[in-house]
Amino acid sequence: MRSLILDTTSRLLMGLLLMFSFFLLLRGHNLPGGGFAGGLVAASAFALQALSSGPSAARERLFVDPTMLIGIGLLIVLVAGLFGPAFGLPFLTGLWGDTSLPLIGDPGTPLLFDAGVYVVVMGISLLIIFNLAEEEGV
Amino acid sequence: MDMVLLPGIAAIFLTGFVAPLAARRLGDRLGVFLALVPLTVFAAFSTLIPVVVAGGTYQVVLPWVPALGISLSFFVDGLSLLFLLVISGVGTFIVWYAAGYLQGDRGLGKFYLYLFSFMGAMLGLVASDNLILLFVFWELTSITSYLLIGYYHEKERSRAAALQALLVTGGGGLAMLAGFILLGRIAGTYEISTLLELDPSGFIGHALFPVALVLILLGAFTKSAQFPFHFWLPNAMEAPAPVSAFLHSATMVKAGIFLLARLHPVLADHALWLSIVAPVGAFTMCAGVILGLGKRDLKQILAYSTLSVLGTLTLLLGLGTPLAIKACMIYFLAHALYKAALFMTAGSIDRETGTRDVDQLGGLRFKMPFTAGAALIAAWSMAGIPLLLGFVSKEYFYKALLDADGPPYLWEILGVGASMVMFALAVLAGLRPYFGKLVKTPKPPHEVPWTMWIGPVMLGVLAIYFGMVPGWPGDFLIGPAVQAIQANPAPLSRLALWHGWNAALFLSIVTVLGGLIVTALSRKVRSAEGFYGVLTRVGPERAYERGLAGFLRFSARLTRLIQNGYLRNYILVIGIFTALLLLSRMPDTPFRMDFSRMVPPTVLGVGACALIVAASVIVCRAQTRFAAIVSLGVVGLGLAILFFLFSAPDLAMTQILVEALTIVLFVLAFYKLPLMTHRSSLVTRWRDAILAIGFGGIMATMAMIAFHFEVSQPPISTFMGENSYPAAHGRNVVNVILVDFRALDTLGEVTVLAIAALGIYAMLKFRRSKKDPPQP
Repeated sequence: MRSLILDTTSRLLMGLLLMFSFFLLLRGHNLPGGGFAGGLVAASAFALQALSSGPSAARERLFVDPTMLIGIGLLIVLVAGLFGPAFGLPFLTGLWGDTSLPLIGDPGTPLLFDAGVYVVVMGISLLIIFNLAEEEGV
Repeated sequence: MDMVLLPGIAAIFLTGFVAPLAARRLGDRLGVFLALVPLTVFAAFSTLIPVVVAGGTYQVVLPWVPALGISLSFFVDGLSLLFLLVISGVGTFIVWYAAGYLQGDRGLGKFYLYLFSFMGAMLGLVASDNLILLFVFWELTSITSYLLIGYYHEKERSRAAALQALLVTGGGGLAMLAGFILLGRIAGTYEISTLLELDPSGFIGHALFPVALVLILLGAFTKSAQFPFHFWLPNAMEAPAPVSAFLHSATMVKAGIFLLARLHPVLADHALWLSIVAPVGAFTMCAGVILGLGKRDLKQILAYSTLSVLGTLTLLLGLGTPLAIKACMIYFLAHALYKAALFMTAGSIDRETGTRDVDQLGGLRFKMPFTAGAALIAAWSMAGIPLLLGFVSKEYFYKALLDADGPPYLWEILGVGASMVMFALAVLAGLRPYFGKLVKTPKPPHEVPWTMWIGPVMLGVLAIYFGMVPGWPGDFLIGPAVQAIQANPAPLSRLALWHGWNAALFLSIVTVLGGLIVTALSRKVRSAEGFYGVLTRVGPERAYERGLAGFLRFSARLTRLIQNGYLRNYILVIGIFTALLLLSRMPDTPFRMDFSRMVPPTVLGVGACALIVAASVIVCRAQTRFAAIVSLGVVGLGLAILFFLFSAPDLAMTQILVEALTIVLFVLAFYKLPLMTHRSSLVTRWRDAILAIGFGGIMATMAMIAFHFEVSQPPISTFMGENSYPAAHGRNVVNVILVDFRALDTLGEVTVLAIAALGIYAMLKFRRSKKDPPQP
């Protein structure tokens, strides 16, 4: 059964939640937040969709398969780690540019790493949620 | 700057990875091009010959794990170079041969990927200067040979043989690793070149040295298929012919021989060496040919004769005299040349006629002239008849036996006896299919394409050339190799074809005469099936099969016991185990309660605690699932409040988010769960209550104790706090720890999470596919 009110609000909420999740990710290095929390918020945005409009609609709005998200996230994390070796430093050494931005602070490889965590966490949560939602009764 | 060794090995590996891509474009011509790579590498390695002839070594070192004394260090001395050249040289012909043998096979690219990876691993193995590095390559050869032996993976027997080879050689490899670590600890270095320079008397008396020795020998014996681990090798004949020709002539099985030779100066002074290595070798030498005589399958005959040769090489290394080592090296070279050729010709016959049964083959010499010629030369060398390298190696073998200590005449009798049967096997494998009357075969025979006979013919030409002028390979290949094993070699005479009328020549003549008699009787022996049937039934392969089956039953039972699918049981086991573990350590820990540093209780804090307690009680008493879920959510939120109060906003936020998503998951799963009709009995409830309260109590006590502990001064949190901004450009210490200070841990955690998620996904999918099976 679908509820029009829930459907509409969740669609409105999705943008807000996604923005909030980015906000959490970006400010994580200096203030409470970070990739893990951000990823969970992002996942909850789509989980809400799955609840209100069904998992197939939520999948459609996500564009990417959650399994793919996990792979992409792990790849980002790995690439963030490989910046060190590229400059002759140990794996996962943090490197920063010279610029400083508002909110983010100094962007560098840790932020990229955190972004990878964000994507992995989002992918994992959604993989489980979507598949549970698609599961038929026993 | 190293321009030869590492680029060479890297080129081999790289070619393997390019092969599947190139296969699409080049098709059947792929092998012809790919063979140019090992050929070039062979040529590059040959440039090192002057270095080792002058008595020098060629070293390349890259740091890897310096803290553990493990480095990517390579070194080439005479021994390594002999193996490098044989591997890359024979490898070139194998690649060519495989192009013809597997013509039209759809997996050709994949095959070359496996083959080149194997070749690269083999090259790395023999050039390793570090024991741990050697082990890595060693296991890499086990894994790649698993893929190669099981190449015809649709066939059950092929898969079983591949698994057997992997388990036997891989298991031996693990024993060897333990031996290496012991040896490295005892001698104080993992670098082989350093080990070789040490005086073995310095560490040979160590109590653990015999253990290390036996473990290393286990590795070598399993790899080189010594009794009682020999059974995997004949079974591995399920592999395509080029694989057999490569793995069982020049490479895989010779890795054990290489290891024995490599560590000979380090290990051989111990009394155990002589008393284990020589008898095992001698036994394998005799058992190999006796078993081989009962076979009718060409490849099986060759496999068992290979066993025998491996036994011979092991025996020679076990004897360990300078003469024996020299004989071992010549024998190794001779065998690599003739056995690769014979395996290839056997594969050609199989492909062209459709059978490998020697009793169903005959008269192929006019139908397959090049193959027949190559096989004849190879068999000639295998039988040890003059003018070929096989003769020279047999002469030195006899000389070494005559020269060795030990029970009088024992080695000589065993050696000559084995060689006589070997002669018969050579006739069987190299002459019988080609001479006599043409026998009708399942397929009408034709000569194979040039790619398939060029290798055997070239190897034959080499065997003749080396046999006529043995001084040449003796000076450039054998001599430096012997020198690498024998630190102070007694002056050895130059290799020569003619040694005059001496005892060794007399034994050779006896061998040929005896060999002719055995050949005449061989058909009778083959039909003695009763004798061989008994041998198969009592052989060590039975033990392997029983052991494997028993192990699988054991793991199935253990899995059913521990992982019975009930989440509550898992939590029960984990809880009890953790509690016991903590309890066992607690009496050693000083315990004091110090409330002076306690934060004064606030209304909010006490309220949150009360909320948690109340909600927990409700969870336990809930009559419906829904009530339990909601109350659990309240427990989580109460915890989040506590985190907030004690200034951990990150934790609090994550806790709330996790709670929210957990509720979502519960809601999704909710309708699929059965009703809570069955309630636990009173006994179970009391048990769970006691366990839960006990576990909670122990954790709380732990927390109190930990509060008073100062592991480091200043505490690690101070370090993190002070360095968070200056070193990591971040003010949120929790986040900085996660993504920078302890990023490797996070990398591991997200990977584990990803794997867990995939596991859940597979589980859900599996249930679904079981419910509605795919329509045909």
